[in-house]
Amino acid sequence: MFDRKNLMKLLALTMLVSLLASACVATPPQAAAPAGEQPAAAQPAAGGEQITLRWANIIDATGQEQWKAVVDAFQAKYPNIRVVSESTAGSGAAIYPDVLKTSIASGSPPDLFFMWGGSIAQPFIDAGQVMDLGPYYDKFGWHGKFAPWVVERIKSDGKLYGVPYHALGMGFWYNKTLWNEKGWSVPTTFAEQEELCAKMKEAGMYCVSIGGKFGWHTMRVLDYFLEHHCGPELHDKLNRLEERWDHPCVIDSYATFQKWIDNGWVVPDFLTVSPDDSRFPFFAGEAGLVLEGVWYEGVLKNNEQNIADYDFYLPPTDHTPLRFSAFPEQWMIPSGAAHPDEAALFIDFITSPEVQTQFPINDFANSATIGVNPDCNEWPLTCKWREIILSAEDTYPPTDQAFVKELMDGFFEVQDAIVAKRMTPEEGAALMQRRVEEWQAR
Amino acid sequence: MSTITDELLPNRPMRRRKRIRLTPYLFLAPALIWYLIFLVYPMYQSLVISFMRWDGLSADIQFIGVENYRRIFFEDDTARLALRNNVLWTLGTLLIPTTIGLMLAVALDRKLRGRTVLRAIFYGPAVLPLVAVGMIWAWMYNPQFGFINYVLKSIGLGFLARGWLSVYETALPATFLTAVWGGVGFPMVLYLAALQAIPQEQYEAAKMDGANSRQLFWNITLPWLREANVIVFSLAVINSFKTFDLIYTMTYGGPGRSTQVLGTWMYFHAFQYYNAGYGAAIAWVIAAITLVMAIPYIQRMSRD
Repeated sequence: MFDRKNLMKLLALTMLVSLLASACVATPPQAAAPAGEQPAAAQPAAGGEQITLRWANIIDATGQEQWKAVVDAFQAKYPNIRVVSESTAGSGAAIYPDVLKTSIASGSPPDLFFMWGGSIAQPFIDAGQVMDLGPYYDKFGWHGKFAPWVVERIKSDGKLYGVPYHALGMGFWYNKTLWNEKGWSVPTTFAEQEELCAKMKEAGMYCVSIGGKFGWHTMRVLDYFLEHHCGPELHDKLNRLEERWDHPCVIDSYATFQKWIDNGWVVPDFLTVSPDDSRFPFFAGEAGLVLEGVWYEGVLKNNEQNIADYDFYLPPTDHTPLRFSAFPEQWMIPSGAAHPDEAALFIDFITSPEVQTQFPINDFANSATIGVNPDCNEWPLTCKWREIILSAEDTYPPTDQAFVKELMDGFFEVQDAIVAKRMTPEEGAALMQRRVEEWQAR
Repeated sequence: MSTITDELLPNRPMRRRKRIRLTPYLFLAPALIWYLIFLVYPMYQSLVISFMRWDGLSADIQFIGVENYRRIFFEDDTARLALRNNVLWTLGTLLIPTTIGLMLAVALDRKLRGRTVLRAIFYGPAVLPLVAVGMIWAWMYNPQFGFINYVLKSIGLGFLARGWLSVYETALPATFLTAVWGGVGFPMVLYLAALQAIPQEQYEAAKMDGANSRQLFWNITLPWLREANVIVFSLAVINSFKTFDLIYTMTYGGPGRSTQVLGTWMYFHAFQYYNAGYGAAIAWVIAAITLVMAIPYIQRMSRD
């Protein structure tokens, strides 16, 4: 039998713990110490002193296996440095920045870490938690080592807080074997792109498959429409918030998105489908296109697709130069790193063309380092991408690397409402402009 | 040393009482210290942060008074939407899983063949991690390949098939259905324990007086479950306001922001938007609302 006294004690205890736990959920770590002085590009610890280099990344188990040879080679060259990989794999940009933020704010940052570009990296720069790597660029001769647009893209206020790692571009991937059977060809104008979608619909297929769960997969298609309707100059101004988001070209972009959905060109009900799951209609031949990046050749291989069946093209925008969505990934060194010089030495090693050529691991296939080329027999489409990416005259960033996350979620909110037709294009553009103004006011 | 001296002085009861008062605290001390360091101090810290503007990273922290709280209630549309969703979630939780849990407990309290297995089956989902549950159900709801639409199409109800998590109107109810599936087992076990504690003589006496099943339930079973109800309802309210895992894994707060709850909105601000102060303020709003909603009920039940 329940003894009332004991029951109430138990209940009170349970309540208290539950309540207190709910208040603790958001307890952030202690404030980080102010960013330290930028250390000079000193000589790394030589000889005797044994150093453990903490290396934060998102490399998965397969990748870690491949990286082992590279790390072993570094450790053989510098026997006093032991590299310890601290991986947060599988979450993409959803959790890794949180893990990093917590370790930095708690005063125990890694010695170097992986980071995307643009607005994902910017909070770390704004908080003074990463080093200006200018002195290391001079010391190690990194100027001219990487694709110029990648270097420009990772700059913040003219300073370089990171070292380019990957240069990644995105385009429409398609099954060329299927297309040959249907007699379809790669479009060269936006009108041809829409004609192609109409043909796919007539053939009982969808034109494009999207996984809208986190917003960014849908965003790629909307970014494409913005590039087409607004043109490069205006698109860049929108991304920099130098132009109003209720501009007619934004309204046209939203209207085009709704047209694609109304015409049945997009696999329906995709708003909370995981981006990874969007590949299944594509593999099954139910959708003709996916808007994916250079990494998609690896995805095709992992899903046992025949690479010879597939190809990609840059979505036609009707503008010159033909810009495509592209973004960099980089290595950064925290201001509070225990061994910044050794971290820079490690970065220099793993980004060198000699090392990347000697160890042709998957992660180097999309390298930002000039002069590194993957095995074109093994990676034919990646090879084709590299030529495009490294010679690109200009590219545009995915909006989620142009906007801070809070504003970006406003973008996603409007985007979802447009897709679900809960707003007209005019209402969507007006709300987006309001979100921009609210954010700017804060 | 003084306590030993006290013990040797049996004729001085006042001092002896002092010793008795101290001893329990000494036993409590290790747990109390742990509690103060790992629970009370972080709570205090998060309360302080809730009055600050802070990105959670830099040393730049500004005191802004109650501005974060003002923003939650008067400026932030999404916070109000999240609060509404939490209230709906709470009402649903108080009604549906608890009722189903009670019905299952009553059914499984009887002598049925295989009732142990049935209890394990119904309790099973309660021990699964909510993240795993969310991922499994998100797959089941997949508009193209999901089990639910497949079944609907197979039985001639294809017109009902839809993107359950992608449609604004169905996303929150569909997520809540998952919570019901995973949340029935816990109240069932609590009610089962309480049912087994009811003296059988009362049922026998009532039956001899001619009471039917409904009268037995209303006049004996339910009054005896009053204390179990305190636990079940209180935890239902608290857990409903702490809802996070299922929303995060199944909808990520979408489509749009339609399934945001205070827990996810707090997480988004504290960790993704670099608004640690605002996130802490939302956390304290969650704690305060839970306290306000749960404590009066407990007090009333205690008086009874």
